[in-house]
Amino acid sequence: MPREIALADALVPGILLVYLGCLVVLLLIDTIVGRYGLYRYVWHPSLFRVAVFFVLFGAAGLLLYP
Amino acid sequence: MSAVPSRLFARRPSWLGEFLVTERQAWIFVLKCMLAFYIAAWLSMLFQLEQPSTTMITVSIVMHPHSGMVLAKSFYRAIGTCAGSLCGVLLMAAFPQQRELFLLSLSLWVGLCAGGAVLYRNFMSYGFVLAGYTAAIVALPAINDPYTVFDSAMMRVSEVLLGIVVAGLVSDVVLPERLRQVLRRSAREHYAHFIDFARSSLGGVIPRAQMEQAHLHFVRAAVQIEDLRSSVIFEDPEARARSSRMQLLNVRYMAAATSFQSLHHLINRLQRGNHPRTAGALIKLYAPVGRALAPSPADQSKPRLLAERLAACEPTLPSLAAELREELRQDPELLLEFDSGAALLYRFVSELRDFTALEATLRETQGGFAGSVERVSFKRANDYAAPLVSVLRTFLTMVTLSVFWIKTGWPFGPNAMLLATIFSGLLATSPSPLAATANTWIGYAVGMLACYAVVFWLMPGSDGFLMLILVTAPLLALGPYLTTRNATLPGIGAGYTLGFVYILALKNPMVYSPEHFFNDAIASLFGLMMSGAAFMVIPTVIGTAWLRRRQLVQLRRQVTMAATAPLQGLVYSFESVNRDLFHQIVQFTPPDSQEQRSLLAWALAVHDSGRAVIELRHDMQHAELPPPVREAMQLAVETLGYLYDSPDRDRWQVADHAVDQAITLTTQTMPQARASCRPALAHLLQLRTALRDDESALAPYIAKVPESAHAP
Repeated sequence: MPREIALADALVPGILLVYLGCLVVLLLIDTIVGRYGLYRYVWHPSLFRVAVFFVLFGAAGLLLYP
Repeated sequence: MSAVPSRLFARRPSWLGEFLVTERQAWIFVLKCMLAFYIAAWLSMLFQLEQPSTTMITVSIVMHPHSGMVLAKSFYRAIGTCAGSLCGVLLMAAFPQQRELFLLSLSLWVGLCAGGAVLYRNFMSYGFVLAGYTAAIVALPAINDPYTVFDSAMMRVSEVLLGIVVAGLVSDVVLPERLRQVLRRSAREHYAHFIDFARSSLGGVIPRAQMEQAHLHFVRAAVQIEDLRSSVIFEDPEARARSSRMQLLNVRYMAAATSFQSLHHLINRLQRGNHPRTAGALIKLYAPVGRALAPSPADQSKPRLLAERLAACEPTLPSLAAELREELRQDPELLLEFDSGAALLYRFVSELRDFTALEATLRETQGGFAGSVERVSFKRANDYAAPLVSVLRTFLTMVTLSVFWIKTGWPFGPNAMLLATIFSGLLATSPSPLAATANTWIGYAVGMLACYAVVFWLMPGSDGFLMLILVTAPLLALGPYLTTRNATLPGIGAGYTLGFVYILALKNPMVYSPEHFFNDAIASLFGLMMSGAAFMVIPTVIGTAWLRRRQLVQLRRQVTMAATAPLQGLVYSFESVNRDLFHQIVQFTPPDSQEQRSLLAWALAVHDSGRAVIELRHDMQHAELPPPVREAMQLAVETLGYLYDSPDRDRWQVADHAVDQAITLTTQTMPQARASCRPALAHLLQLRTALRDDESALAPYIAKVPESAHAP
C-alpha cells in the first residue's frame, strides 16, 4: 500500500483512506449489532464501539504498513 | 441496606436535592469540556498542526450537554467543513488577483450559508454555519499569498475535524448523558397522556378551550418526539434500527389524535345544535371504547393488553350502532349525522388499535425487527421569507466589512470578518438576535479579559503542558459552567468560552504579543458588533407578526394542498406539515391572546377539514362510484380547497352549496351503490358540519343559509 495516493492530483496519505474504510466497516458492524440488539450484553456500548474501531484501524494499519 | 440512603434523601429538603442534581450535571459537563479541550490541544500539538486554537474553537462550538446532539452536530459539521474549505479553495483559484470579486463572492457564499442555517432548523443548520465559517477561515488569511491557500485549507480542515472527533468521542464515552432515555420517557408520557385523555372523555362533551389545549399538547408531543428521534439515531445504533417504526408510531399517533378531535367536534356540534339525543347515542357508542381503554388499574399502562381489548371491541361496534340507530328519531338528516359520527368512531378505534399495537411491539422487542415497514417521513414546513432575509443581511454585512477593510487597509480586517461570519450564521436563527448579540458580546468581552490575565500574568511563568492546564483551566472552566446556566444567562457562556479560546490563540511554541492581542480583540468585538448592527438595519422576521400571518396563510392552504396534491402518502405529509407549521407559529404567539385563540381555531378547522378531504378523495377512488356522483364530490373538494385558499363569504357559499349538492346526490344514489357511497357520505357530512360550525374559525364567513330544505 503506497504511503501517499494522488486523488485528483492532490496527494492524500494512504492511512487516511484506511481510516475512512475502517469507519465504514465500523458502521456496518454497528448496524448489524444494533439490529439484533446485542449491545445489551455490553457494559458501555460507546466505549465498546471506540475499542472496536481501534482494533480495526490498528490491525489494518499495522498489516498494510508493516 | 438500601433503606439508609433513602432515609437520608428523605431528610434532605427537596430544593437541595434538586440543586445537587443540576449541579452534578453541570460539573460533569464542565469536566467533559475540559477534557475535550485539553485532549484536542495536546493532540494538535502532537500532530504539529499550525493553530491548536482552531481545534479548541471547534470544540467550544461543538460541546453540548447531550451526547446525541454532539454526534449529530459533528456529522453535519464535518460535511459543512469539507464543503466550506472546498469553496474557499475554489474562490481563491477563481479570483487570485481580484480581491473585490473575491470578497463579493465570498460574501455571497457566507450569506447563502446563513440562509441555509435558517432554512434547515435542525442539525443541518450547524453544517451551513460551518460551511461559511470554514470558507472564510481558509481563504481570508491566505488573501495576500494565494499560493498557500491549499496548505492553509488542509491545515484548517485537519484542525477542525480533529476538534470534531475529539469532542464527539469525549462526550460519547465519558459519562454519557443519553438522549435515548429522554426520548423513551417522553414517548411513554405522551402515550399515557393520550390514552388517559381518550379514556376520560367518556362523558362525551369536552369544552372547546380544553380541546384546544389538548390539541396544543398533541402537536407539541408529535414535534418533540420527532426532534428527539432525529438526534437519537446518531447516538444509538439500536435506535437507528427502530427509527422507521418510531416514525410510523408518531404518524399513527397524529392520525388517531386527528380522528379523535374530529369525533368530539361532531359531538359538541350536535349538542349545541339541539340534538342531544343523537349526541347521546354517539356517546353511548363510544362507551365500549372507553371501557376497553380502562382495564384494571394495574394493567393500564400495558399497550399490548389495550390493543387486544380494542381489537375485541371493534367488531361489536357496528351492531351496537345499529341498535342505537333504531332508537333514534327516524329523521334522515339526524341519522346521517349519526352515521358520519359512527364512521369517525370506527376510524378512530382502528387507528388507536394500530397505534397501541405498534407501541406494544416497540416496547416488547429489543433491537431491530424482521421485515420492513412502510416508509413514512415527518415532513417539515419551510417558509422562504426568513432565509432570504438572512441571506441578504449577511451578504450586506460581509460586503460592508470588506469595503471597510479594503478602504482602510486595516490589517485585522480578516479577523473582524471571520467573527461576523460565525455569528451572523449562529444568531440568524434566534428570535431575538439583538438581545442574543448583546449577551454574547458581553460574554465574549469578559472571556477575553479573563484570557488576558491568563496569558500575560500566569502563562509566562509556566512550563510544559501540565502547567498550561493548571494555568488556564480555572478561568476556562467558567465558560462551560455558564453554558449550563443558559436559561438564566442566555448566550453568555457560549460567548465567554469562544472569546477565551479564540484570543488564547494557543500555539506551539507560544507567542506573546500584547499588541496583536489587543488588535485581535478589538477586531473580533467589532465584527461581532457589526453582525449585531446588521440585525438592527434588517431586523429578523422570525417570530414577527408578519411571518406568523404568512405562516397562518400557509397553514390554511394545507387544506388546498389536501384537495389537490397527489394522494400517494398525502395523509402523512399533511399531518406532519400541519403540526410542524402550527408548532412554529405557536412558539412565538403570545399565550392567552386573541391571536392565539384565532390560530388555534384555524389549526383545528384545517386539521378537521383537511383530513376529511383526504379521506373523501380516497373514497372517490372506489370503482363502483357512479360518475355523476364522483363529479359532484370532486367539485365539492375543489371548492373547499378554493375556500381555504382565501376565505370569504362568496367562496363559503359556493363551497357549502357544492358540498350540499354532493350530499343530496350521494343520498339519492345510496340505494343503488351502497358500498361505495356510504363512507363517502360520512366524510361529506363531516365536511358540512365543519363548514357550518359557528364556533370554528370559519364562523365570520358563514352566510345565513336557508335551512328550510333540511330542517326537521
